[in-house]
Amino acid sequence: MTVAWHEDQKRLTPKEIQEISFPVSRLGRRGYDEDHVRAFLRQVEQEIVTLLNEKVSLWNEVERLRRRIISGMKSGTEGVLFGKEDAHVHAVRILSNAQLTADRYVADAQAYSHRLTEEARSRRDEILAQAQEHADMVLEEASARAREAAIEALNSPSPASPQTETDRNALRAELAYLRAFGEVYRTHLRAYTEGMLRSIDEWEQREARSLEQTSLEAAGLTDFGRARELR
Amino acid sequence: MDAQRLRDSFSRVNMFGDEVPLFFYSDLFIRHPEVRDLFPISMRSQRDHLVGALAQIVSSVDRADELTPFLQGLGRDHRKFGALTEHYDAIGDSLLTTVAHFCGDGWSAELAADWADAYSLISSVMIAAARRDEALRPAVWSGTVVGCDPRSFDISVLQVKPEPRLDFLPGQSVAVESPRRPRLWRYYSVANAPREDGTLEFHIRLIDGGAVSMALTQGQSVGDEVRMGPPVGVLTLDVTSGRDILMVAGSTGLAPLKAIIEHVAMLPAPPQVHLFFGARTADGLYDLPSLDKLAAEYDWLTVTPSVSADSRHRGETGSLPDVVTRHGSWSTRDVYLAGPTELVHETTTRLTSAGTPRNQIHVEDFGWSEP
Repeated sequence: MTVAWHEDQKRLTPKEIQEISFPVSRLGRRGYDEDHVRAFLRQVEQEIVTLLNEKVSLWNEVERLRRRIISGMKSGTEGVLFGKEDAHVHAVRILSNAQLTADRYVADAQAYSHRLTEEARSRRDEILAQAQEHADMVLEEASARAREAAIEALNSPSPASPQTETDRNALRAELAYLRAFGEVYRTHLRAYTEGMLRSIDEWEQREARSLEQTSLEAAGLTDFGRARELR
Repeated sequence: MDAQRLRDSFSRVNMFGDEVPLFFYSDLFIRHPEVRDLFPISMRSQRDHLVGALAQIVSSVDRADELTPFLQGLGRDHRKFGALTEHYDAIGDSLLTTVAHFCGDGWSAELAADWADAYSLISSVMIAAARRDEALRPAVWSGTVVGCDPRSFDISVLQVKPEPRLDFLPGQSVAVESPRRPRLWRYYSVANAPREDGTLEFHIRLIDGGAVSMALTQGQSVGDEVRMGPPVGVLTLDVTSGRDILMVAGSTGLAPLKAIIEHVAMLPAPPQVHLFFGARTADGLYDLPSLDKLAAEYDWLTVTPSVSADSRHRGETGSLPDVVTRHGSWSTRDVYLAGPTELVHETTTRLTSAGTPRNQIHVEDFGWSEP
């Protein structure tokens, strides 16, 4: 009985690499950039998968040759080196490799779409936070203006004892000014908000389009492959 | 059949890892190319499922009481994938070829007999369960999207009319497949109690990188077709307890709880229901208008929305378990929980340590399948 390389169960598997998570380093201590570590782990996982595949196919080949030799010895002839049974195993190996390639295409497309959506989501949050901040600023400024206006109005002489025509005119002017001012702010705020909404819409549409594209590529793998060949 | 010998050979074969299911499926598809169509393009998670199921079967192969219900479930479950009785022989052939291949010199006539016996036992139980199920209901229901309502940039509410009528209990889920992602099934809770027109409501959240949720939220429109499997799930109303109810829903976990609220409304004497509905930000509270309407209609229903990641929000803020426990002890109530796994877990822990008996807490158990 052949003792194979795989009998040590404690070995690291690609799945373990895929699923590992490290604790975050304590505040104030320096740690590695998480994205870099992840990217490297993906690379390591791919490498291990490739090595494992190679190893198993070598093991298969050794087994095949061993069996050939034994059957050759039994029948007293040298036997054929590549029989019908071998052809089947060979075909299985070819199909397996094709399947692994397809799996990788789908996984890559999925990882790409994952990253894209994640980025879109955080960009959206950023835009919304910015808009909120701007709105707060505008409101604050407007209310400060209003307060000033109110204090000014209190300090100015009461309309019950009207002063000169010029005073009244000045008050009217002030009122008009404030009205105009408020209007300007409202327009300003509206334009800004609409602009923000438009840019969010646009972002959403672009996201939907590119997600659709990615997933179509992932789903229609064969068509995609053909289309590329034609190009 | 020597169960121990079978287990030993399986654990030897299993050490080849992913190569084993890879060989199995390639062998199957070369001999029976027509079977390939029953599987998705990427076989990655399929292979993990196969190994997982095999491991479970092999470990309990001599304990019929444990094995039989598992196999019956598998047999019924595989109907929606298009598995037919004649496929079982093909799969048995490829299974034996695969085990023989990886056993190498260790393969013997006795071992071959063990595996053949075990497989014929497994397949006969699965086939019998599938046949019984066939008499009761269709393998799949075709559905037409009759309503499509995007509620926020990543949440859509779909109304689907199944054909024929699909009967279920409020709170249960069905597996859904979109023709844009053939052979990929995901479970979604029905968000309503059975309606006269038979339509089903689904609340679908776009998962980053999620193949099916993407197909169902992006570019879905009225008239599109989906396919659905039979209803499953244990998160249903306990009508016998007589206790008042606490519900905690995180995001689209609202769906099954909304169905249960509709069920409560049909009771002659509805208990008090307090629903906490939480999301990260206010626009994640995608179904609030309809909940407010329900709360206005039913005096036994209280709805408390809360937001966890927006301190400006007017109203309840904080993590959902915090908000729920802040509102008092709920030890005398039945509890229904649904939402992200961590949320369900955390809320369960908090409530039990505050005195709610574990058997009063109802959650969905997706242990047997891919959510």
